[in-house]
Amino acid sequence: MRPARLLGWAGLAALLWLARGLLLPLFLAVALAYLLSPAVVWADTHAIRRSVAVGALFALIVTVLAIAGFLLGPGLLAEGAALLERLPGLARQIDQGLDRVVHELAESAPAVRRLLPEGGGWVQRFVLDRTPAEPADLFERAGHLFLLVILVPFFAFFLLRDMHRLMALAMDRLPPQHVETSVAVWREINGVIGRYIRGVVLDGLVVGALAAAGLWAARVPYPLLLGAFAGLANVVPFVGPLLSATAAGLVVVLTPGQGLAGVGRVALLFLAIKVMDDTVIQPFTIGRSVHLHPALLLGSVVAGNHALGVLGMIVAVPAATVLQETVRLVLEHRRALARRDLRHQPQRVVI
Amino acid sequence: MFEHPLPGWLSWATDPEQARRVPFLSRSPLFAGLPRRLLARLATRFFEKTYHAGDVIFEEGDPGRALFVIVEGSVAITRATPKGPVVLNTLGPGDAFGELALIDDFPRSASAQQATDGRLFILYKSDFDALMEGNARIAMVVMRNLARQLTLYARRAPVFPGAGPEAGAPL
Repeated sequence: MRPARLLGWAGLAALLWLARGLLLPLFLAVALAYLLSPAVVWADTHAIRRSVAVGALFALIVTVLAIAGFLLGPGLLAEGAALLERLPGLARQIDQGLDRVVHELAESAPAVRRLLPEGGGWVQRFVLDRTPAEPADLFERAGHLFLLVILVPFFAFFLLRDMHRLMALAMDRLPPQHVETSVAVWREINGVIGRYIRGVVLDGLVVGALAAAGLWAARVPYPLLLGAFAGLANVVPFVGPLLSATAAGLVVVLTPGQGLAGVGRVALLFLAIKVMDDTVIQPFTIGRSVHLHPALLLGSVVAGNHALGVLGMIVAVPAATVLQETVRLVLEHRRALARRDLRHQPQRVVI
Repeated sequence: MFEHPLPGWLSWATDPEQARRVPFLSRSPLFAGLPRRLLARLATRFFEKTYHAGDVIFEEGDPGRALFVIVEGSVAITRATPKGPVVLNTLGPGDAFGELALIDDFPRSASAQQATDGRLFILYKSDFDALMEGNARIAMVVMRNLARQLTLYARRAPVFPGAGPEAGAPL
């Protein structure tokens, strides 16, 4: 490799390292751009300028969010505030319950005491660790959130407006003979990611709405908050639905008057939602965009969690799908080229 | 008509690039009979690329993944023979080639090389398939036009085995 090119790659790597803080907003912006791209394509079919279409789309989104905030915001805020107020008490109650269980277990098997010491206050510590203690911490977190709220739509706006120009530029830079295959790979992957992201968001909305309605009907406290959590957690395969069911179950356990019957109702509700999601909702929303084997799906989620935590679990499935599709297309291309080379070989004469 | 798809008072919001694609594609035999509304949907799926004279667009035996429509310039379609490459046809603006990639996964049956500087519209099979899933009419019209071209070719194709494709044969 030439020194100039090596220096260029090193510079790019250094730049990426310095701008690593922008990776999360950029990732979310790409997801938002995929989500909104059908609306921009619709505008393209009516020959509306991209800048006008994307501007109008963002104005519409702000209006819809403002209306949704007006209708659902007070309820969500009230539930959130009530939960925050009860959180330390709830954490203490959970810890006491856990201590009782550990104590009973330790009586029959003393080795458990070494593994799970009593009075650890794990849940309380977990809650306190994540609650900003100092006003400075609170400001820092609010600042990060504010930056995310500003940067994500900002990046998404320019991605939606200029992506086709960037694509045209890239195509003009590619060697003519490789344009067909390389862009075909990109188009297939682009289609898979787009369908997956739009499907996952629609799936999360439906699951969240079903969970909120079901919890409200079962008279479980904080139905809006738990429903929103169920919708968000649904993005993570396997772990998400389990987490949201556990959260709702814990709220029921700690609510006086609900009892075991309440836990049973919640378990049944989340089981019904999961079955409906797998058999009815997902085939309509995510459909055939993901063709991963269940073992590979689970493996990618575990690997994503190890690499990037929650964000890794969210991007694991599309990343694994992209990898699988790329390998499939490249192998297919190599096979086709091998067939062509065979055809061009002079025929051997057997004497 | 589609040059100004928006009302006059909204003409400032018209994208001239997209507006010119529909009338252009409507003149291509492959898309003849498609209503403007569907042509507009199809037009958004095309990529545009500039090629220079001598650029190889694809080679015989390459996997076919896209259809090409000539916007400007000319393209020579050649095929290798034991006596060297033979020019089967030279195509001009409005002509389409590589259309068989939309219906099968077989390798290209001939090579395409840019004869003069020009620009091409490129439609990828994955985009065409995605469009067909929601618009059976697009699939029906394009496939009918393709079948018509194949029928024309079959009627005048040589009956002697090994004579190779004729000028104007779909690729």
